Amino acid sequence: MKLSCLQENLSRGLATVGRAVATRTTLPITQNVLLSTDRSMLKLSATNLEIAITTWIGAMVEEEGSITVPARLLTEFVASLPSERIDVSMAPGSKSLSLTCSRSEAHVNGTDVDEFPPIPTVESGLAAKIDPQAFKTAISQVVFAAATEESRPVLTGVKLELEGGKFTMAAADGFRLAVHNGELLEPVGEPINIILPARTLSEVNRLLGEQDTPVEMTMIPSKGQVLFRLNSIEIVSQLIQGTFPNYSQLIPQSYQTRSVTDLQELLRAARTASIFARDGSGIIRLQIMPGSDDQSESDEGQRSGKVVISARAEEMGDNQGEVDTFIEGDESKIAFNSKYLLEVLSVLERGEVVLETTTPSSPGVFRPIRGEKKWRERGVEERKPDETYVHVVMPMFVQWS
Amino acid sequence: MTAPHWRYILHADLDAFYASVEQRDNPDLKGKPVVVGGPPESRGVVAAASYEAREYGVRSAMPMGVALRLCPDLVRISARFSRYHEVSRQIMDIFRGLTPLIEPLSLDEAYLDISEKVSADEVDGVAHGLKTRVRDETGLAVTVGGGTSKTVAKIASQIAKPDGLLLIKPNEERAFLSPLDVDMLWGVGPRTESVLRDHGINTIGHLAACDNGWLQNTFGKRGHELKERALGTDHHPVTPHRETKSVSAEITMTHDVGDEAALRDRMEELAQGVAARLQRNGLKGRTGQVKLRLADFTTFTRQVTLQAPTDEAGVILPVAWDLLHRELRPGRRFRLVGVGVSNFNEAFQLALLPPD
Repeated sequence: MKLSCLQENLSRGLATVGRAVATRTTLPITQNVLLSTDRSMLKLSATNLEIAITTWIGAMVEEEGSITVPARLLTEFVASLPSERIDVSMAPGSKSLSLTCSRSEAHVNGTDVDEFPPIPTVESGLAAKIDPQAFKTAISQVVFAAATEESRPVLTGVKLELEGGKFTMAAADGFRLAVHNGELLEPVGEPINIILPARTLSEVNRLLGEQDTPVEMTMIPSKGQVLFRLNSIEIVSQLIQGTFPNYSQLIPQSYQTRSVTDLQELLRAARTASIFARDGSGIIRLQIMPGSDDQSESDEGQRSGKVVISARAEEMGDNQGEVDTFIEGDESKIAFNSKYLLEVLSVLERGEVVLETTTPSSPGVFRPIRGEKKWRERGVEERKPDETYVHVVMPMFVQWS
Repeated sequence: MTAPHWRYILHADLDAFYASVEQRDNPDLKGKPVVVGGPPESRGVVAAASYEAREYGVRSAMPMGVALRLCPDLVRISARFSRYHEVSRQIMDIFRGLTPLIEPLSLDEAYLDISEKVSADEVDGVAHGLKTRVRDETGLAVTVGGGTSKTVAKIASQIAKPDGLLLIKPNEERAFLSPLDVDMLWGVGPRTESVLRDHGINTIGHLAACDNGWLQNTFGKRGHELKERALGTDHHPVTPHRETKSVSAEITMTHDVGDEAALRDRMEELAQGVAARLQRNGLKGRTGQVKLRLADFTTFTRQVTLQAPTDEAGVILPVAWDLLHRELRPGRRFRLVGVGVSNFNEAFQLALLPPD
């Protein structure tokens, strides 16, 4: 094996596959990265058995070959080198990889490729194409709602449904539910229903970066695997087996109060309150109050009012802020875990947010209204939320007195 | 060494409060052994005993029958709680005149944080003045203890009783606490005391010298607090508004009861009483509790966390009954049953998905 490549390319490639390197494992070789020449490229692969990432970087290949070496050692060494050419070589029959860059030289002892777990290949299956930035939005609006603890494995996953020209992504952790509806670039032939590890989607999101060419997704539900093909990166992931909760029945079909609020104003007030909530029990209280005066009851019972956002830190102090809002229905109050509130508000992008509530102990529903207009400038029809996203959060039970 | 903040707390404790109020309202009772409490026929208990009665060995919480045997001349008076509340308000107002930072512990006891109001050399005069004012305005004797922490203030007043005054100067806490029996420390109940004594820790000084690691291993998080108190350095603030922590009711029955139906009737009355009080105070609690006392005076409690906070008898009764029912044994008879609800302000996250 003999080749040369640029330090910055090798360093970026190692960082790309690095997230698939196993950290805690009973199979030590999964802490290695696989290097192999592939036509005129250097191919890098890593797997922790749940997810495998492969990437290709440009290289001048003089002799073919392959080896696995400790990923962390190689990654940190390469990252420390100057931005110059690296010569990589391994004598036939040897298992020691030599790297030379500028006036630095290193030898890294490797292990035979035969002992490395096979990187799954997905040659054929059900394929779909998705706009990369639309896919990133979908992932970031959903993936955080997946459970992080493993007591119910399906909840650590994200449900992905493809049918016709549409896809739906959903995640729930027992306290909240996030559902994103998006469009495929081409309709799929037959419907697809899978549960992906949330970690896989987070990696896809990270690796997509600024990519503008479509993401290709190939599924082999029978093998329990899915392949994402990005620009010069392939990610193969195991699917999660099991039955995902029937989430559509968790979305309330009605509400007592609907408020429409500028997203950035509400987010700022919630962040302020969260400083106080942090030292209390993490509770942020929202009181949605119709105004007593003005052009009340103008359009179909909608009127202006305010949302009062407050939090208290036991024995340390309290905070209260107000945001103007547009209200349909009765006065209402609801308390949320500050983390849940901030997380949903943070992924709603720009525009305005609709909050639908019923009682202090029934779920709150967040929906976006996109666009530049303020609610004050919108007609009734324009105040309807768009259907791309819905987020349901169960409140905290608190004493309201 | 100077403390960053001057801190001084008084613990004011009225002497034999209920009995003293009765003796004051009825001068004929002055100098006589007086107890407040229910008659022995209905298994009354001593709620308060005058110092004259205490000389006979009569103590609070003693069954009235026993008290009368110890002191046949005892004058028994049924409690007049509304009267005690009225006098208590009057006394708390006197305390409040000195500092707004008062924390009532019961009708006859309160902590006063005077740090903001009084400098070090004024403490003595102020404490004397407080005693004089209470005596002048209510005719009652109050014992005042003082120190740089609640622990020291309270122990000082315990030692100074009756009608006493004991102020521990800053930096003299350890010397004061050190020789005292360890069970005088707040938080050292019978069980903790026996553990401590088993290890030769008989005085507060012994406890203060204990190894932190050993305390941690033996008492968990509480170990650290015990040590702080023993050193006289606990920092618990005087908190003016004590929230209601629990609502409960109990009945000492005229005859020990083992019969299920009869117990069930008692529990139903209690649950309804507790529910009514919760509703009146706008409280909902998430812990249900029963208190049980057997014929041999063994007393214990059992509690359970509810699915959701409640103020309804319809929820409290089945929970309380279930707790009691598990304690039924052939031949076991109960002298007292109680029902309580607590855990009022605990917020909790509601679930979207039912657990698996």
